[in-house]
Amino acid sequence: MNLRFAFGLFLLACLLLPAAAFAQVRYTLGGLVKAAGTGETLPGATVAVPALGLGATADETGAYRLELPAGRYQLVVSFIGYQPLSRDLNLTRDQRQSFQLLAAGNELGEVIVQGSGTLQQKLQTTQMSVERLTAKEAKLLPALFGEVDILKTLQLKPGVQNGGEGTSGLFVRGGSADQNLVLLDDALVYNPSHLFGLFSVFNPDAVQSVDLYKGGFPAQYGGRLSSVVDVKLRPGNSDKIGVSGGLGLISSRLTVEGPIKKGKGAFLVAGRRTYFDVFTRQINNLNKDDPDFNPIPDYYFYDFNAKANYKLGAKDELFLSGYLGNDAFSFGSGQGFNFDFNWGNRVAALRWSHQFNSRLFLNTTASYTGYKYEISNKLDQFSFNLASDIQDLNLRSDLDYRPNEQHTLKVGLTATAHRFGTGRLRAGSGDGRLNLGSDIRYLGQEGAVYVSDVYNPSEKWQFEAGLRASGFQSGGQRYGGLEPRAAARYAVSPTVSVKGSYALMYQYVHLVTNSGASLPTDIWYPSRGSVRPQRSQQVAGGVSWLLGDGRYLITNEVYYKWAQRQIDFKDGAQLFVNPDLDSEFLFGKGWAYGNEIYLEKKQGRTTGWLGYTLAWTKRRFPPQRGTSGINNGNTFYPSYDRRHNLTAVVIHNLSERVKLSGSFVFSSGQATTLPLGRFGFQDVYGSEASAVPIYPQRNTYRLAPYNRLDLGVVWQMKPTRWFPESDLTFSMYNAYNRRNPYFVYFDQVKDEQTEQVTSFRARQVSLFPVIPSVTYNFKF
Amino acid sequence: MPISGISRGLIPVRALRAGVLAGLLAGGAALAGCGLQKDIDVVLPAYPAQLVVEAYLENGDVPRITVTESVDYLAAPTPQVPTDVTATLTLPDGRREALKFAPGVDRRTGKAYTHIGLRSLTARPGQTFGLELADTRGRRVTGTATAPVLVPIDTVEWVFNDKPEADRRAYVLMRFHDPATPLDYYRFQIHRRRVNQEPETDYVIEDRLNNGTEYSLGTGYDFKRDDTLVVSLYHLDRPYYQFLQSVQDARNANGNPFGQPSAIKSTIEGGLGVFTVLSYQRRQVIVR
Repeated sequence: MNLRFAFGLFLLACLLLPAAAFAQVRYTLGGLVKAAGTGETLPGATVAVPALGLGATADETGAYRLELPAGRYQLVVSFIGYQPLSRDLNLTRDQRQSFQLLAAGNELGEVIVQGSGTLQQKLQTTQMSVERLTAKEAKLLPALFGEVDILKTLQLKPGVQNGGEGTSGLFVRGGSADQNLVLLDDALVYNPSHLFGLFSVFNPDAVQSVDLYKGGFPAQYGGRLSSVVDVKLRPGNSDKIGVSGGLGLISSRLTVEGPIKKGKGAFLVAGRRTYFDVFTRQINNLNKDDPDFNPIPDYYFYDFNAKANYKLGAKDELFLSGYLGNDAFSFGSGQGFNFDFNWGNRVAALRWSHQFNSRLFLNTTASYTGYKYEISNKLDQFSFNLASDIQDLNLRSDLDYRPNEQHTLKVGLTATAHRFGTGRLRAGSGDGRLNLGSDIRYLGQEGAVYVSDVYNPSEKWQFEAGLRASGFQSGGQRYGGLEPRAAARYAVSPTVSVKGSYALMYQYVHLVTNSGASLPTDIWYPSRGSVRPQRSQQVAGGVSWLLGDGRYLITNEVYYKWAQRQIDFKDGAQLFVNPDLDSEFLFGKGWAYGNEIYLEKKQGRTTGWLGYTLAWTKRRFPPQRGTSGINNGNTFYPSYDRRHNLTAVVIHNLSERVKLSGSFVFSSGQATTLPLGRFGFQDVYGSEASAVPIYPQRNTYRLAPYNRLDLGVVWQMKPTRWFPESDLTFSMYNAYNRRNPYFVYFDQVKDEQTEQVTSFRARQVSLFPVIPSVTYNFKF
Repeated sequence: MPISGISRGLIPVRALRAGVLAGLLAGGAALAGCGLQKDIDVVLPAYPAQLVVEAYLENGDVPRITVTESVDYLAAPTPQVPTDVTATLTLPDGRREALKFAPGVDRRTGKAYTHIGLRSLTARPGQTFGLELADTRGRRVTGTATAPVLVPIDTVEWVFNDKPEADRRAYVLMRFHDPATPLDYYRFQIHRRRVNQEPETDYVIEDRLNNGTEYSLGTGYDFKRDDTLVVSLYHLDRPYYQFLQSVQDARNANGNPFGQPSAIKSTIEGGLGVFTVLSYQRRQVIVR
């Protein structure tokens, strides 16, 4: 309570202070920074006034704003990977001025890495614990099967763990994968993965950038405990029609973009599809007459991303974003048995951006998001269908007000109507004798209002304070709470900053999974009944030091996070089509703490980063609900707990046409559960006794450490008439063919003659050996 | 494949993912030209041995129970049979009957047992029995079991597919009527010829979603013409059902990276295992 009171006073002070600063005539200069030729906005670009020592950074929409006294100035607009632009300006009134930067090309000898912001900006901002990555950056790095995956690239950042070899799930600072708020142009994505987590749903051709917040969450974000993954789609080329694409080992991509009306708007449509099924069907056809051949199931996924923007006038612009993706798995035995399994997301968001004046901006977004899976079995006259889904309708409005150079205010609200289908079952027979079904549905409403202010009282200090009030209701039960957010930065010197942050988060919807990995059949469940909202708090502190004339930034952050009402499940929980699902839940607490060291270099022929994380993640679920809890009520490490994690990423511009890249990962072994004992079980009738494993403890065994080196080469081919831009991208995943542990199991060893069990042994299974791949990318 | 009933085995998603990954793994293995599995040394913490019981009482049958001990997982595969365990059965009328330690093999069931009763039991639906074990090390295992009512099989049918005769196979369908009482559990088994060998079909279901209605439990196209099948329907109580499920979950977790290991939900206290009264009906059919 005292904390909330003190925070309220602090916030109030921040909100009232803007009134202080109107002493002289000042005008506002604002506009967009874009890339010449493509019309892409350039978030992170800087517009500087060297004479005054002032500058501004373009926000996520590419918009900048400066508050200047009347006068003549020389402006310098710059961004990594683009040629700096200098322009004179006579400021006599509020003025809108946009800039277009030319790509630096290779004459600068730099790898083109855009959107990452300068290290100087990163040093100066109050926001800590955030990583920005662009698709262009990700495309330069080696990838599994050559499939560039922006979420997997985020796993190379400190404080982020993966859920297992090759998977795209993110486990951020001790949080589980369902505690990430994944947004696509402000619309929520419930299941951001294809192929059981091996690939994310984000097509790198359509993505512009992703921001990952690990802590210090701004007040406009809420609803998940551990991270915000804010993915922005790329606006289409506003100057000319363009086509780009790629042919890869397992999928192909095609993107079409262009102006809707010159100077008014642009569109982009990007699609991709895998083609495992094309090959497996051929194999099945070749073997269709072989009675001993077991047909290979069909599997494929596809997705489409689309974005369009259109200027309604000088102050109004509409943005429409959409995603449609589906995974399809089917199997037909040829004996009347068919099995189909489909799952996918649908996302649509319409944003209206309005500029009241140069200081006041309003963004209002209406969005729909849905995720659904469906399993269908059919055998002769009998059919079985199981499905689950979640659908949201969301409306949010965010008002940005910049009264002066000292303050940036944000106020907003969001409201979501949830529709949960936690289990729909239909089973029937053609003769009508069998007809059973169940359809379990819940409704939920979630809402929040927030206010925040970034306050710059001096060059040394910068504060950001926010307060979010959120609530949720389902089944007549209401929950809610205040979520204070605070951050501060102190510039010790022009090259050293000290930062701190605090954030409290609530999560009102929960993922029902007991597999330890994200599966498409995982179910989202609302807070209701005995299931109360999850809550977490995180404090973080850090220091950033700019080295080598601004070419290197080294950051060290420590964090401590504690979470209440964490959810797990009873042993043997029945999670499918269970109208009494909340009786299967167990509730506990979690802690995570650690230290992250991060060295970055973003300029020059060689760029990259080096990260090291020392971390602990713990859970405790005491005895409850007639059970002994989890791990007999003792504290245990979840499977994604890793003590040490080291990542190194290097991108080197070898020549104008050849870029080399490499990434190395080392992490401590995954915590896993192995049976400690066994007993022989004969069952009712006397078959041979078989061994039943006994698991008295959770995650007490550690797999061997994980390490892997990936190498990549991007070879830009000579321009041709039809393909002015094209490249071949070579990847070597797991270059030294390390047999990393995927899981360990116990096996019986039998005598070959007698078939008698002679001993038991432990076996380690690895998933991916060295995997070379090549992808051809083109653009015209 | 079961036709109805919400058996978890009916939703093979984890198996599906494991299959996909196994495919990738196999592809990767082919690519690398060498195996992706290897033996490793694992040091497990010591696990204290527990008494393990398997005790299935049947109406009209002499009680025979099996008492063994659990062992460290990597211990030698030698059956651990404690010789100092006394076993006492408490009958529904309160009488206590000591079971004699006399290891042997039941010729009817093919099972090894350690303790045997003196006479046949009478077990009627609703009657409750007790079991108590004790050894010289102070370990004590207790449990009770109530005989479920018999749920009869209504029909057993089979349907052939339309393949050529050499490849023609049939699925089998067994129907029964679930009583109006909630929380009924069943085990469906089909054996070829004799029940004292591995069943062809074996799964458990509950009546959670379809209480009091007709159930149809089936198989895949697994059977040839003239196959002799023994179809069994067991009516289980909840503890026995949960024990079987936990055994299945524990087995599935070994070797499945997506399985969540499950503790064994024994029906007895002080040890591991099951004490129950069997209630089943059985039919023998020839698929023609």
